[in-house]
Amino acid sequence: MECIASVEQLRLKFPGKETLLFKDLSLSFKKGEKVLLIGPSGCGKSTLLQVLSGLIPHSVDIPMKAKHIRVPDNWGYVFQDPDSQFCMPFVDEEIAFVLENISVPREQMPERIEGLLRAVNLQVPPHTNIHTLSGGMKQRLALASVLALEPDVLFLDEPTAMIDDEGTEMIWRTVKQIAYDKTVIIVEHKIEHVLDFVDRIILFNDAGEIVADGEASTIFHNYKEVIASQGVWYPRIWDDYKKKKKVRRHSSEQREVICLENFQGYRNKEVKIRVNTARVHEGEWIAVTGKNGAGKSTLLHALMKLIPTDGEYKVYGNRLEQTKQLARRIAFVFQNPEFQFVTNSVWEEMAYSLRLEKRTEQEIASEVERLLKMFHLEEQKKQHPYQLSMGQKRRLSVAASIISGQKVFLLDEPTFGQDAKNTFALLELFESYREKGAAIIMVTHDEQIVKHFATRRWIIENGQLVRDEPVMPETKKALSVQGGSSREMGYSLS
Amino acid sequence: MRWDIHYRETWLHRTNPSLKLLVMMSIFILVLFLHNPNVLINLSIGLFLLFFIYTGYPLKYLLLFFLPFFVIFVSTASSMTLFGQGTTTWVQWGLVHVTKESFLRGMHLGFRALTFALLGLIFSLTTRPVYLFYSLMQQLKLKPKYAYSFLAGVRLIPIMLEEFQTVQNALKVRGAGHSGTLEKVKRYAVPLLSQSIRRAQRIAVAMEAKRFSNETKRTFYYRIGFSKYDLMFLFSMIGIIMLSYYAATVFPYIPVTDVR
Repeated sequence: MECIASVEQLRLKFPGKETLLFKDLSLSFKKGEKVLLIGPSGCGKSTLLQVLSGLIPHSVDIPMKAKHIRVPDNWGYVFQDPDSQFCMPFVDEEIAFVLENISVPREQMPERIEGLLRAVNLQVPPHTNIHTLSGGMKQRLALASVLALEPDVLFLDEPTAMIDDEGTEMIWRTVKQIAYDKTVIIVEHKIEHVLDFVDRIILFNDAGEIVADGEASTIFHNYKEVIASQGVWYPRIWDDYKKKKKVRRHSSEQREVICLENFQGYRNKEVKIRVNTARVHEGEWIAVTGKNGAGKSTLLHALMKLIPTDGEYKVYGNRLEQTKQLARRIAFVFQNPEFQFVTNSVWEEMAYSLRLEKRTEQEIASEVERLLKMFHLEEQKKQHPYQLSMGQKRRLSVAASIISGQKVFLLDEPTFGQDAKNTFALLELFESYREKGAAIIMVTHDEQIVKHFATRRWIIENGQLVRDEPVMPETKKALSVQGGSSREMGYSLS
Repeated sequence: MRWDIHYRETWLHRTNPSLKLLVMMSIFILVLFLHNPNVLINLSIGLFLLFFIYTGYPLKYLLLFFLPFFVIFVSTASSMTLFGQGTTTWVQWGLVHVTKESFLRGMHLGFRALTFALLGLIFSLTTRPVYLFYSLMQQLKLKPKYAYSFLAGVRLIPIMLEEFQTVQNALKVRGAGHSGTLEKVKRYAVPLLSQSIRRAQRIAVAMEAKRFSNETKRTFYYRIGFSKYDLMFLFSMIGIIMLSYYAATVFPYIPVTDVR
């Protein structure tokens, strides 16, 4: 079949990095193929998409060299972040922007816009403010505006990385509808949604080399060990994880940590979250679930008193009024770790809270070293927090938040966008704290995390805690058989 | 965070944004060289009526928007009045020295600031940025490169405000409240700027991925032309100015025609 895109002996290096990201990489894609690229974070999958589309070096200035490169004539590119791919404020204007670029006459535009919105199942009036759309709807709008280019090749660069389950489902359903006759090259972590769509999978290792390239049906079977060792998400990864996992110990103490009665949180004087009654005990891991915009993050903000609240709220039996007082008992980890960094090095970042408590330098040093080791950040201790990788930043923000010994953790989707290796590493760290009696309240969209780690689940709907139910532990017998040899998870940390 | 304020669309919204901009800029320059307080007061009243009746916003918002500029009016007028120079002394008390001349000059300055504010308010309340830039591209031949960069920038503002709040919360949780001003500026600026720079770069790449380029000829989704509303606008502005001059000569408030 006809080749539609290819590179031969591609060499590429990011400025400031010592090693080449790609060294003599050759790849080609046939017309009509649906290809999935997988590999650990930072292996260069997205960069490769940008090279194949010609965005590198045309729009993004990164030094590269290739013996031969074939860029498709007509392509469309959907990016990861729904908030940074539009330049106009309204839905119709954004699609019109693309139509203007390719000189479509004005008279044809309204009709084309409506047709494109129908094609991606985006049922909103064309003149809708993009700001009011959900993340999933924004990504479908991105698809619509890319379709306006009438592309033969679609590059999809983790289009669902920031989208909840429901939105992800809709996006992939739409892609399957509109792209059956196109060439589609996909980078995606949530592979279960695309496995039935792709016919070829290419696996990269962390050195940017191709480890495997073959039919979708066989690759996970033949290269399972390699895939697992690279820390990449693969189907049924959780089953394998469960086999290796040790038995969960319940924390013996069951002291009450948080007590809520008729608790309400306000934004702009409106009740945005309401909890009639709820208790949190030591050793509990509570998963807060619900749709995007239901009020999960708002609940965490209310518990930290970052928004006005009323009703009964006690922490260890005390009523605490200020965020400052609460912060001594409760650690809060935000979704974007960068926003929480306040110093210029990893070491100082960890020491920051301890310094505020006026601990002795000796004490600080020993505590920081202990946590650096535990969170595998020793080698990075002199670096600026912004220079870390995604996974390291996340670990640092957690470590720095919990260093003063808080025993309640509020976590806002801490595993969002992380690869398998980092996700499991982080979850195990939380689990080790939970076993020692910490209480964890974590917002998540991932059903597997709820199933395998949470002890209880809070469901939030329309700004209200509607259900508070225990998560049934998995068949305990099966686990305890293998439970003897604990801690043999093969996830080493970089 | 949303900024949806519902307003009624008036004829001011329908005038050509480029024309509106040019006319308002001319008035701006005219006011700079206007030294007769009577004319200036009349002009302010005229613009104030336009602002109050024809921008189409609910009274609550009009008052809210006007408030900061009223404060500016009072502060400019009073500082000139209290510490100005002049020969006819009214009050002298320590440093404070109010004379007839300083009072008139203060008032004149206050009204000048007020006129500028009203011009700006009327323009920004009745002009959608998207229409403004489409009109600038079509009537004043602004390069699309600049027009769309501005529009993309406008989109970033609400996102930045949201991020500002997040940083504020994050710092509160980490107990980073007690620090010097410089330190504080740094703590907000570094994460906000680094986010914005990255976001701007990503938007730029996304725009090029959608085939935005400087070379090709483009069509326009909105065709911004001229209509009877433009004549209406032009005549009403000329009318306000002429009436101001006429009223100032026939019914002057004060017998002074030059405050210099």
